[in-house]
Order: sequence, then structure tokens, then C-alpha cells
Amino acid sequence: MTQPLLSYTNVCKSYDQRQILNNINLDIKPGMVVGLLGKNGAGKTTLLRSALGLLTPEQGEIHVFGSLNTELDIKTKEQIGYVAQQTFGYEGFKIADALALHRSFYPSWDNELETKWLARFELNPNSAINNLSIGQRQTLALIMAMAYRPKLLILDEPVASLDPIARREFMGDLFDLALDSDSGILFSSHITSDIERVASHIALIKDGELLIMDELDLIRDTVRKVSFSDSGVDLSTYKVLNKQPNSAIIYGYTGQDIAGSVAINALSLEQLFVELHG
Amino acid sequence: MLEFINVNPNSGDPIYKQLHEQIVRLIVGGQLATGDELPSVRKIADHFAVNPMTVSRAIGQLVDQGWLERRRGQATRVAQQTTVQSDQQEALLFKAVDQLIQQAKQLDVPQKNLAELINKRWKQ
Repeated sequence: MTQPLLSYTNVCKSYDQRQILNNINLDIKPGMVVGLLGKNGAGKTTLLRSALGLLTPEQGEIHVFGSLNTELDIKTKEQIGYVAQQTFGYEGFKIADALALHRSFYPSWDNELETKWLARFELNPNSAINNLSIGQRQTLALIMAMAYRPKLLILDEPVASLDPIARREFMGDLFDLALDSDSGILFSSHITSDIERVASHIALIKDGELLIMDELDLIRDTVRKVSFSDSGVDLSTYKVLNKQPNSAIIYGYTGQDIAGSVAINALSLEQLFVELHG
Repeated sequence: MLEFINVNPNSGDPIYKQLHEQIVRLIVGGQLATGDELPSVRKIADHFAVNPMTVSRAIGQLVDQGWLERRRGQATRVAQQTTVQSDQQEALLFKAVDQLIQQAKQLDVPQKNLAELINKRWKQ
């Protein structure tokens, strides 16, 4: 077994008596691109920030490369990339100066990659950061988090402000990182079609609980919406993710007949997301 | 060949299945002939902006099922097909036919009428 790059064990966290994370168990291993899905306020950002030691869970433990998240040394931190939802800092800097400063913290910074990405995303090193659009700031933040090829990359809604072309380019870079450098990536996004394209795994959280975490293809292949008129239908052989009076979302379906069901339908990721919050 | 394939991340089918099904169609339909080379996994993944592992899964299944063949150090190629072509063609229509039959049943259209309907529309 490969050691996970990032590992949550029974993690709980609350603010003002409100439970934000409830007993989260999650491992990110090399090569994984994990899409984190959840409604606004479901606990995604708390989950991501706690990996960096920015938050301390009340219960449970988080390990990054085998060390506790609150005791990470500099060598370990140099291998983590993070892009927050709200960027940025470096106000009053030119792009080139901000990058020079940022680069100085990371010995393994790849100058060639930086130059390539600046050109590709049409960022002029002489532009002032104050004058950049939100999308351009986001792009720069991604370059700053990825140009040293981190072993663990944590992204909080990284592409929301990028145009479709830039999003595609950026996804290609993510794969290069995950597969060529054997890194692990955990990213949250509301754009389900992007997750569908990029993710190898899906982690879905609802009200602070991890509802599913598995390979995307496995989820897509075995999650079904079962409709029925009699709610006494026997679904005990499946994991029931959500149950309504006339339908249920089940996980682990492999083509059997379900007695009493009216219809059994596959769901796209977006449909699954909506159904689970019904 | 990539221009013949269309990936839709919002469809009910996972992306690896969409790739699998469409490549089978290209082979059965003759757009891809025995010995034709497929682009590399990375190239296909880049083209559709999808995870290379997804592409790899589709290609792997096609190899296992004998549609494609992979030799060490060489590009993946379309394999010599051993099953009868008409069987393959028909198999590809099962899903659409099943859906049609299901709809006919829901609308209470008898089998005989459905057959007549297909006949009539076919001639148009």
C-alpha cells in the first residue's frame, strides 16, 4: 500500500456549536485527482484549510506526508500547493516581482514552467497585480501554487473565474502533475462537468459528513435512482444515499432487478448532486 | 479519428463508456479499419480535456474485448475482428431498440403496430 499524501482520520470540527465536519475519514494517494463536491456551507473550505494546519480539528487527526498537520516542517510545506478561494495579497506588486518573491521560498521552482504558463495564459510580467481581473489573479495564484510541482495540491474552487479555454489548459496541467510527478490533488468545485472530466475520485460532503468517496467511474456505474410506488421496496443490499417517499438514490447497483421498482435510472454527477439534496 | 468522437460530461453515461461505445461504433461502421493506429492515451485525453486514466480505462476494456490490440512499444491498433459483422451491428442497436420498445409499451402500442410503423418510416 502506498502511504497516503494526505489522510483525515475521524476529523470533527465545529464553529459556534455548529458541526462543520463530522467524523471525516479520507485518504489522498499519489496520482489521485479528488473532486470535492458539496453545497455552499457544507464544510469544503474547512476541510481543505484544515489539511494545511490553518485549522485544528477538535477530534481526530490529519496527517500530511505522514506528519501531523500542525507539526509540518519547512521541507514538508515546500511540497504543498494551495490556492484559496479568495486570492490574493501581493497588492502593489508587478507580476514579475511577486513571482520573484514567491519563487524564493521554493527551491524546486521550475522557471521554464513559469515562463510557459505566463505566456500561455497571456500574463504580462510587467502588469501590476492591482490591475488584473479576477480570472487573471486566479491564474497567477495557480501558477504560484503549481510551478514547484507540489506533491500535494489543494485547490478551493480554482477555476470558477477562468474562461473555458483556460480551464481546459489548466486541467491538462493538473493531469501532468498527478501522473508525471505522482502528486495528489484535492480540489473543490461547483462545476460538475469539470469534475466529471478531471477527477479520478469524487468526495461528496453533505452537512459536514462524507457521503461518498470513491472512483468517479465506479460511482457513475453503480449509483442509480430507483423510483417506486410502494415505499416498502427492499433496498437493503445497497447503500441508500437518500430516500424520498417515491424514490431513492442507491449506491452499489450492478444490474439486478429490484422487485417493486418502477424505474432504475443512471444519473449524471449534476443530477446526483441535486437528487442528494432533495 | 478524434473528430468523429464527442464527449459530453453532462450525459448519463460516464466518459469512459462514451469513449468505449463510440470507438466500437467507428470500428463496426468501418470508419476505423483493421490495423489503424489510435492516438496515444495522453493525446486523446488532451483533445477532450479528460483525465488520462479515464481514457486508459476505455482503451483497456477495448483491448480486453478484442476490439483493439496493444503490442509493447507500439501504438494501439484496431484488431482483426473475429465476430460476424452483422452480429456486431445489431448488438449496437440493442439499447436504442430496447428504449423504443419500452416507449411503445408505455404508450400501449402493440408489437404489430410498432413493426408496421418502423416499416412505414423506413421507406420515407
